Amino acid sequence: MKDFLNFSGTLRGALDELVQRIQSSLVVVRGHRFGAGAGIIWDSSGLILTNHHVIGKHTPVVLLQDDRELEARLVAQDEEVDLALLAVEAADLASVQPAPSLPRVGEMVFAFGHPWGQRGYVSSGIVSALPTAQTRGTRGSLTLIRTDAPLAPGNSGGPLVNGAGEVVGINAMIVGGDQSIAIPVSLAREFVQNALSARGPAHTPDRPDPKGVI
Amino acid sequence: MAKNVLVELSEALASAAEQAGAATVLVNARRRLPGSGIVYGADLILTADHIVEREEDITVLAADGTEIAAKLAGRDPGSDLALLRLEKATSATAEPASEPARIGQIALVLGRPSAEGLQASLGVVSAIAGPVRTGRGGMLERYIRTDAISYPGFSGGPLVDASGKVLGINTSGLARGMPLTIPADLAWQVADSLAAHGHVLRGYLGIRSQPVEIPAAAQKALKREQEVGLLIVGVEADSPAFTADLMVGDILVGIAGSPVTNSDELYSHLNEERIGKATPIELLRAGQPKTVKVTVGERKP
Repeated sequence: MKDFLNFSGTLRGALDELVQRIQSSLVVVRGHRFGAGAGIIWDSSGLILTNHHVIGKHTPVVLLQDDRELEARLVAQDEEVDLALLAVEAADLASVQPAPSLPRVGEMVFAFGHPWGQRGYVSSGIVSALPTAQTRGTRGSLTLIRTDAPLAPGNSGGPLVNGAGEVVGINAMIVGGDQSIAIPVSLAREFVQNALSARGPAHTPDRPDPKGVI
Repeated sequence: MAKNVLVELSEALASAAEQAGAATVLVNARRRLPGSGIVYGADLILTADHIVEREEDITVLAADGTEIAAKLAGRDPGSDLALLRLEKATSATAEPASEPARIGQIALVLGRPSAEGLQASLGVVSAIAGPVRTGRGGMLERYIRTDAISYPGFSGGPLVDASGKVLGINTSGLARGMPLTIPADLAWQVADSLAAHGHVLRGYLGIRSQPVEIPAAAQKALKREQEVGLLIVGVEADSPAFTADLMVGDILVGIAGSPVTNSDELYSHLNEERIGKATPIELLRAGQPKTVKVTVGERKP
């Protein structure tokens, strides 16, 4: 019994740490008149990654975990992989750590977001499959991450993280009610790198570069 | 990845999926979405019977990506299991768990419904129930339910424990689309029988019956409280029951020392081991108990 309690303590400790770390990098993104999506702090200088379909025609507003509400500027967007990069004027934000490679089928994953508007919810599951999908754009076929962790509207743009707290994907879709799809973090990394190199190496969120705005 | 107990658990699950996934195959034997199956022997695949809609032109896609032609080796619609024989052997045989599934145990549901690779979902063993009539003349003594999602095409795939051992075979073909799992020991019994005979051997008496109330006086003569028995309403000519002189009007109340109150109970006693054996059948004839030995025959498939 003692061993069991001890084990449950360390497992809970690991879970607590993971949840706290990710939630400090989790934001609410309001782009449409109704509803909101999630986003993650990609870079401590104020770069926020979210889904393209989360940002609407209005100026997106980002709500940080400490309840600061900031107007965001759209840095780049890519409908093909459903990603958008925003910038807010803030410093020393808690950014996420991307995983170095694709997860394996069977690995435990945790989805963070705001399902049905409930802020900072966590759901868990495993990587169910790594399906390939054809895009309408130039990339052709992409590997996606399918998970059995339940998602709901409001999870879009939120992170899918592994047991070490590294981001493996960006939650993007719900298929057939019980199949959740995430965009691999490697695509997100590539998207951010392209967006930043298009704007030049000197990334200064406080000085908007008109060419970066699409 | 930084090691913590969560990462270790996660890696153990992924490794269990990988290990059992090596013996989980795609079975292409119907027009719609393919189903799944497991490698039961070097050249034998155990799968769900309802996904095998044709007996020829069956192909199996192994975990390593090789496509192998297969033929139907036997089927048992009653337990929704079928055995396929491969034209050439494959590696990695599925290993059944040595202990039966326990409620609350972590379990992975695996399938390979597409060429894109293994698919998995996670849950716990939610319930172990049974017996249940399966609607195709079959009886499932026990079945396992889990809360893991069964994705389309998962029928015929395994339910595995955290070390990758097979706890059972998943199918949605036994209970009107509701996914359930046939426990490994039962599935292997059926598979052994299919491999040896091409069908499952079931015992045969040759009687038709219906449940009736047993009068209080007859229960007293029986020296036990048993309110219901099976009234024999027909005896087939030259059947084991006929040879042993069972008669219309007898009430069957027990077999091999166990009371029988409905046909399901009788059915579950008439298993493969009983065939050819002289089995004591307890009757009420004219209100008096009588035991008759019947040599159980083999039911024609």
